[in-house]
Amino acid sequence: MIRAKRKTGLVFFPAFDWAISPTHPEREERLLYTQDQVMEEGLLDVPGIREYRVRPAKYSDLQRVHFCVPDEPSMATESHLISAGGCLVAADAVMKKEVESAFALVRPPGHHAMKVVHGNRGFCNVNIEAVMVEYIRDVYGVKKIAIVDTDCHHGDGTQDVYWHDPNVLFISMHQDGRTLYPGSGFAEENGGANARGTTINIPLPPRTGEKGFLYALDELVMPLLEKFEPELVINSAGQDNHFDDPITHMNFSAKGYAELNARLKPDLAVLEGGYSVEKALPYVNVGIIMAMAGMDTSTVKEPGYDKHYAPQAPDITDYITNLMGTLKDQFLINPPAPHPAKNGEIITTSKRIFYDTDMINENQDERLVRCRDCAGALAIDSHSSKGNKMMGIHIPKDACPMCQKTAEKWVNEALDNKKFHHIFLQDRTKCTYEVLR
Amino acid sequence: MILGLDVGGTQTDAVVLEDGHVRAHTKTVNRPELLETLGQSLDKTLAGIEPDKIQRMVFSTTMATNAVVMDNMDPAGMIVSAGPGMNPEWFSVGPSYHVVEGCMDHRGTEVMALDKSQVKEAIREMEKAGVNACGIVCKFSVRNPHQELQLEEWLGDQFGYKALGHRFSGSLNFPRRIATAYLNAALHKLHTKFISSLETTLTERGLNAPRYLMKPDGGTIRLDKSCEFPAQTAQSGPAASVMGALALDGCKGVTLVLDIGGTTTDMALVLDGLPLWVPNGIRIGEHRTSIRSLLTRSVGFGGDSEVRVEDGKKLSIGPMRRGEAMAFGGPMPTPTDAMITLGLMEEGDKDLARKAMEDIGAQLSLDAEKAAKMILEETTKGMTKAVIEFVKRINSRPVYTIHEVIEGIKIDPDRIVVLGAPAPIVAPMLEKAFNIPCVVPPHYQVANAVGAAAAKVTAEISLQADTQRGSMVIPEVGLESAIARDFTMAAAMEQAKEALFSRGLAVGADPGDQEFAVIEKEEFNMIRGGYRVGKNIRLKLALVPGLIPDCNCGGQQL
Ligand SMILES: [Zn+2]
Ligand SMILES: [Zn+2]
Repeated sequence: MIRAKRKTGLVFFPAFDWAISPTHPEREERLLYTQDQVMEEGLLDVPGIREYRVRPAKYSDLQRVHFCVPDEPSMATESHLISAGGCLVAADAVMKKEVESAFALVRPPGHHAMKVVHGNRGFCNVNIEAVMVEYIRDVYGVKKIAIVDTDCHHGDGTQDVYWHDPNVLFISMHQDGRTLYPGSGFAEENGGANARGTTINIPLPPRTGEKGFLYALDELVMPLLEKFEPELVINSAGQDNHFDDPITHMNFSAKGYAELNARLKPDLAVLEGGYSVEKALPYVNVGIIMAMAGMDTSTVKEPGYDKHYAPQAPDITDYITNLMGTLKDQFLINPPAPHPAKNGEIITTSKRIFYDTDMINENQDERLVRCRDCAGALAIDSHSSKGNKMMGIHIPKDACPMCQKTAEKWVNEALDNKKFHHIFLQDRTKCTYEVLR
Repeated sequence: MILGLDVGGTQTDAVVLEDGHVRAHTKTVNRPELLETLGQSLDKTLAGIEPDKIQRMVFSTTMATNAVVMDNMDPAGMIVSAGPGMNPEWFSVGPSYHVVEGCMDHRGTEVMALDKSQVKEAIREMEKAGVNACGIVCKFSVRNPHQELQLEEWLGDQFGYKALGHRFSGSLNFPRRIATAYLNAALHKLHTKFISSLETTLTERGLNAPRYLMKPDGGTIRLDKSCEFPAQTAQSGPAASVMGALALDGCKGVTLVLDIGGTTTDMALVLDGLPLWVPNGIRIGEHRTSIRSLLTRSVGFGGDSEVRVEDGKKLSIGPMRRGEAMAFGGPMPTPTDAMITLGLMEEGDKDLARKAMEDIGAQLSLDAEKAAKMILEETTKGMTKAVIEFVKRINSRPVYTIHEVIEGIKIDPDRIVVLGAPAPIVAPMLEKAFNIPCVVPPHYQVANAVGAAAAKVTAEISLQADTQRGSMVIPEVGLESAIARDFTMAAAMEQAKEALFSRGLAVGADPGDQEFAVIEKEEFNMIRGGYRVGKNIRLKLALVPGLIPDCNCGGQQL
């Protein structure tokens, strides 16, 4: 009799009644064949694999992470709430020790959604991993968490949310931003002033194969995790690195995904992208579920594998070997030096963000307290091409008195400034979110 | 007149219904031989009734279940093709299980053809193993049965009975399909023999009316047709009880049905007259199958459950049954002894019952009455807990659409129907515990037999149409046909209905009964490269469990 070696929870939510638009990659059909394959394999009958029912997340779950402009109801539809809620169900299952690990096989995805949300970016409105992480922190008191994003696209949303947070290690392995949306995720992007080195980007060349992914995992990701010592490891398990994916140029496989998962052993995995709905997703998902459950995955492969998968080319192998050498040096041997600014100094930065799905431009001016005692108070002055002007003030979970005081001052300044249509205060020390205007 | 007969674990119940009334009902203690039990029960029940007055007979037997549980089935071989996914060797079953190369994908596209030489080798092995029936199962055969049909052809007449996976259920679940085909193959000969003996038993008594067997889905199947699907007649007992509740009570609203037996109490839910089904299939012994079944749950609390005192203070009831209650000569104190001691039951030896309660009471420093009360309270508490757990589990079943999450219909029973001998005693206690009406219908002691008598024929079919592939498959009836690119849901519905009714007729449904339910109805646009290339249509229709017209009166006459 077969049995899962590790008790595994599965939250499956294919949202068969939701699409961005009828022919969009993010459409009703996306997980149809995955469902067929999972059902036909009989995976849900395997003792030790338990399926959970989704529940919708609440707006207050989103407010731990985002500044939704103008408000949550206009940014998050029912589908986004359910997808995020699916992650919360998975988190509960693991944190209550009902299972050893859990996989939220849900859609729509979330890793391109940033801290401020004016609309849909890269098919995402709500950062479902971040909503899950902040929920786990509030409800279960977990402090140090690592997120390993293995989607083909740079997880720029998750990077943005945790840019200043030294207690969340965010590692993204993705197709080089010079060749793919969203065009970011270079090694130089290594965290904000108070969190140097807790953002790690591994930009892999197009045509990276099984060998390259697993090499990067073994050489860099695993040692980084070992060093960071997280209490919990989360995998943003995007599946668009697959050799058959229509919108990317990588060369990964179901076997590779299963092996990666078996080595990484995440406590929680969350589906992100993956648009080869028929030839990749069914097999990749079966592989991941089986790997999480500690089952032998050697019999899992795409029907087209023998014909269409070409082992990684030697030039790619050389490139990746060199790249890993450089990155190991940058992050493991000579980790980034702390930011030179003095304690208490205010660091200002500006950036522009483009929302590809909704065609919105956003300008952000950010102020951060350089702080050695906490993640630093943060004020984001954001206005979008839709005309919305917002001020969002964030007090981190472990905020020191100095940062709390600074945030208070910023709030008063903002209230005096007539230009803002919306003023939000996200106080993570008190777990509150106030709409001040 | 209609005869209904249900063989239980220790005794057999039978009824004769006449014009919607229970004319006769009997209980017979089981004999070692099933046919002997059936014969005795028939003679007892039909005493004084002209055999030709019986117009319909339904039997709920334990033949298939016992054969599976005792593992005295026939040796059946298996040929399986799988392709990528879980290792097919993990599902190995029976004495001669063979995996051959071949692969069909989720769309029903053949990815790898079968290899005839491997199949020939498997046939030789099965011959050597002395098998005389064979199960044939391919992954995704419900999407395209081609490889199973090919294997059937290559096997020729070598093995008497061939169980093709796609014929038993249109649902996706390869391991369950394997188990289901295997059980059908392994039971076929035994079942066929049993049916022919039963036919003889009936003919000898001048009983020539149409005869049916009960199935675990709450429906029935014509006796002769059951030989094609022998495993579908296993574990029909709990379903018979639920159908009995439906016939005797009507089960309006959200009704919880509790059938209290000697060893266990069975629970089920009926929503406005329609019993809930399990989503995947019934488990028979160690085999998880794709055989439809009513959603029932058994807990180890019954009238004859063993009562013990643990650690000198804690009362423990069930799940074992060591025999009858002490009042009936059994070895251990039971809840039945408690009922007798408290004067709630007339039958049994009062002194023996009292002695049982004194024995338990002594360990708890209580007198016999107090001990008996405590036992009944604990039993009720245990049942209450089990019911709450059962309902909670149903409400936490996964759903896959936003609509279902938002609608989130929560099932919350608003009444309870209690069946089985202790029903009148237990019902008031449950009514107090749940604060909802607890009904004990007439003939509660033989509700299972009434249910068998009253249940109509059920059938189910699944349709999958893929307009890009240009194919439509209805596996249960072995239909595969070409369709045009503009094939619609409406056309699919017509095809599905026709298939369902013809399947229904074939297994004994009343030609006039065209009442069906849509179990599943989904339609997806298939988009490739930004363009719609086809439609994927999925339909599941069923003749759902219900009552034959004579008995469909909401319990008013019965
Ligand atoms: Zn992606
Ligand atoms: Zn600080």
